[in-house]
Amino acid sequence: MKRSLLILIIAVLAGSALFAGSYFMSRRVCETCTGKSTDSLDWLRQEFQLSDAEMARMHELHDGYLPKCGAMCAQIAAKKQELDTALAGATNISADAKQKLTELAILRSQCQAQMLQHFIEVSQAMPPEQGRRYLVEMERLTVGAHEQTEQSMSEHAGHEHMHGGN
Amino acid sequence: MEKENSNPNDEKLSALLREARSTPSLPPRFQEGVWRRIEESEIPATARMNWLEAMVSWALRPKFALTAAVVLVAAGSLAGAREGNHAAHQDAQTRYVTSVAPNSLR
Repeated sequence: MKRSLLILIIAVLAGSALFAGSYFMSRRVCETCTGKSTDSLDWLRQEFQLSDAEMARMHELHDGYLPKCGAMCAQIAAKKQELDTALAGATNISADAKQKLTELAILRSQCQAQMLQHFIEVSQAMPPEQGRRYLVEMERLTVGAHEQTEQSMSEHAGHEHMHGGN
Repeated sequence: MEKENSNPNDEKLSALLREARSTPSLPPRFQEGVWRRIEESEIPATARMNWLEAMVSWALRPKFALTAAVVLVAAGSLAGAREGNHAAHQDAQTRYVTSVAPNSLR
């Protein structure tokens, strides 16, 4: 009885080890093989099944967008630096700091608009169905993520108001 | 003196008490019932042992062991490949989003 139970336990353990070993090895191999590409546009090809010609157009659009995005990011970084300087050591928000905040917000919204414009151009260069799907997905991943944060914060604030009222 | 006087009385008293005590009679087929209960309590243990031993001897057959090993390796590989592909796909998506959307806008 004890011997049989021991054999059964060993068999179950060996089976589990076999399954786990092959699972981790296969996962590692797949991650290495499919993730070794350094092309940042690989996802577009995988997700939207784009042809070589379409991918060439994607690269063209992407390469045209990156310098504009980089320039905008540099402006935002510079403005953020100015804001940090205006806020350094202050106990109140000065008029200058408020001005910098407004300018930073304007720059960010311009950058966001430029980014959304790029998404629209990319979606238009895709077959219609994939283009629609791309646009929805990109809005979800960029602007949508921001909205989720705001929504969760407003819900949190609402709860706090309710607690405050009681 | 006192001991000699009291002993015969005690023996008489004990004999009277033995006679007065009634011995309850056993229910009908008592012995048969006891044996049946003993047998019933032994049956599940024996059955469990047989079941376990049968399972172990079945699992130790080379044909079954080999089939089980192949099935486990195949299932593990498939699950791992699926998970690996999903992770790689997620990485590719993150790489693309990072390249087009600066962190400050997400």
